[in-house]
Amino acid sequence: MSDFDAELDATGLNCPLPILRAKKAITGLESGQTLKIIATDPGSVKDFEAFCKQTGNTLLSSGEEGGKFVFMIKKAA
Amino acid sequence: MSKRLPGPERRLSILKSAQQLFAEKGYHGVSIDEIARAVDVSPAILYRHFSSKKEIYDTVLHELSGKRESYVDTVINSGTGFEDILAGMTQVFIRSIDENPDMLRIEMQSLLEGGDATGEFFKNRWKSFTDYIEFGLNERLPYDQPNREITILSAALMFQGMVREALLQKYLQPHDRLEDVSLYELSSELVRLFLRAVGIEKSHLSRRAVISA
Repeated sequence: MSDFDAELDATGLNCPLPILRAKKAITGLESGQTLKIIATDPGSVKDFEAFCKQTGNTLLSSGEEGGKFVFMIKKAA
Repeated sequence: MSKRLPGPERRLSILKSAQQLFAEKGYHGVSIDEIARAVDVSPAILYRHFSSKKEIYDTVLHELSGKRESYVDTVINSGTGFEDILAGMTQVFIRSIDENPDMLRIEMQSLLEGGDATGEFFKNRWKSFTDYIEFGLNERLPYDQPNREITILSAALMFQGMVREALLQKYLQPHDRLEDVSLYELSSELVRLFLRAVGIEKSHLSRRAVISA
């Protein structure tokens, strides 16, 4: 059983592209579903925190995996 | 010797003095001793906070370059229009320089000094714009348009050139001609002209995109 419903690869992209893509990807999800995002821009950590805070989506986790940043975002109700 | 400051204040005073010195003389032109003298402490005290000149320089860039221009607000509040987002990002970036013009000087110094001392920081900042422009134009330009690749590359270059030139003329070589024009107004108009040049017409950008000085 996977722990996310969709995955977004934003490696190599600088702000604001990861956020923009995430915003788009989330509209395609249903509430409660989870989006996994992989990014390399170090600024993306703060960006996704701010993004979730401002949009009401939940940042389930924010970490590093194999030198990249991985975020799990749950779409708000 | 200056009076004893608590750790965090001392650290900040080191960063601010270092920033000023790097802006005047570039990375290679400044020594640890000079920074210590500027803050009126011994190098030993300075080394308690930072292990090298490089570390000071990197910290200046990362901590003093303004609330790291987060374009998150712009993306969330501008809908998904390429034009509005680009205009919004530009205003945010301009404001970060307006609030700390030494960053512009440090960038100019780093261009002449070469990348290995000064790293990818500034290149990375511009990459936000060039990535976004390439992305936006990739979507907008017809696929069968001749010379598509070079058009996109040139457009990104044009954008960077015009914004950087506006900043240089405003901060580094003030011109009478530009005296009465606010940088925000100027950059807003430049973005509008840019969009027209690349074939994206938008007769007026949302008022929200112009932040008054």
